[in-house]
Amino acid sequence: MHQWDFASVLANREALLVGAIGTLRIFAICLVAGLSLGFIVGLGRYSRNRLFYWPATAFTEFFRNTPVLVQILWFYFALPILVPFSIGPLAAAAMGISLNSAAFSAEIFRGGIQSIDRGQWDGARAIGMTAGQAMRRIVLPQALRRMTPALTNRAIEIFKMSTLASAVAYVELLQQGKLIASLNFNPIEAYTAVAVIFFVCLWPLVQLTYVLERRLGRSE
Amino acid sequence: MYQWDFAPVAANWPLLAQGLLNTLKVTGVALVVGLALGLLFALMRLSRHRGLSWPAGFVIEVFRTTPPLVQLFWFFFALPLIAGIAMTPYIAACVTFSIQSAAFFAEVFRGGIQSIERGQWEAARAIGMTEAQAMKRIVLPQAVKRMIPAFMERAIELMKTTTLVATISYADLLFAANEISQKTFRPLETFTVAALMYFVVITAFSLLARRFERRLAISGEATVH
Repeated sequence: MHQWDFASVLANREALLVGAIGTLRIFAICLVAGLSLGFIVGLGRYSRNRLFYWPATAFTEFFRNTPVLVQILWFYFALPILVPFSIGPLAAAAMGISLNSAAFSAEIFRGGIQSIDRGQWDGARAIGMTAGQAMRRIVLPQALRRMTPALTNRAIEIFKMSTLASAVAYVELLQQGKLIASLNFNPIEAYTAVAVIFFVCLWPLVQLTYVLERRLGRSE
Repeated sequence: MYQWDFAPVAANWPLLAQGLLNTLKVTGVALVVGLALGLLFALMRLSRHRGLSWPAGFVIEVFRTTPPLVQLFWFFFALPLIAGIAMTPYIAACVTFSIQSAAFFAEVFRGGIQSIERGQWEAARAIGMTEAQAMKRIVLPQAVKRMIPAFMERAIELMKTTTLVATISYADLLFAANEISQKTFRPLETFTVAALMYFVVITAFSLLARRFERRLAISGEATVH
């Protein structure tokens, strides 16, 4: 029977803290970059102008249908050959995860905007708003409410995806877990600790999406 | 200007083909085991006995809320020490992704089963079926039809997730690409080809899924996600 000993992990709590900061940093970058780019791409997908529609569609199809890890490795190993500057682990991982989340959230934004009744547009235009104003003041606020559970889910996915950055040796929680495991020969405790940290961080968020979904279901 | 040269990659095509085959193998195993285990988890979670529903709920929540890469590392590096067994990258990958997809499939099953109107249950019980018979003959067949789109979406997600096995040195498509790029010093061409191969296979699957979904929609079946 294995003798569990978390003291060796606790002794390295500073390494885990550094990892947690790294995880939060890449999470924040990808959340902001992924969702804002996703919004732009989503508008392109919604547009009737082919000049916007086709590039946006090609983008979402490509990034939805290739694995994130492949994208991260591509940005890390392949892209530096084409561009004149070097690309670090954080940049490569952030690009891969952001573009992937942009593709997925674009579909959420498009679906949310499309779900708003045509009459809302007509009403806004009838009282003299421009299309941009109607979108900003009437359609988006209603659409965002409907999209909140799906967007929260996306945020959770981004948090989980951040572990993939360890494949290019970016310092985040899993990478630090690896380090601790290899220095102290305690993979059981080190990886269990990392798993528990993720569970503790994400479980409340998951419960929140359930609550949001139920509340939305009741109000609609 | 960089001179593209795909010849070194093309020369290594058997490695890539074997890698793709291994990717499909892990996906297939995880899909089959995950479906069976997922149904079991769903039935346990729906059970009125807390001794059944709580453990199932716990496993489902843990595997849905922790990153798959952490799970894979745990099964590959930690489990062999606890259980005192030898672990290969292939077995670790199959075990991790089977349980992980089972957790997601369980929620799809549960949603599908709960979407069936109470009247179906009551009618089945009224004509003398036991609860198990009603589930097997009346509820599940209707529920499964509604779940098909969600299943297919999950299967595609699963195939993308299997790339993680490259990090524990299982020779899947991504791992093969990494090998070739180190051997030929052509990372740009190799990773581009690998990305395109994934894109083609996954797009083909999702087109099939979409067509199938449309046919279900025509036959008048509501779908749950």
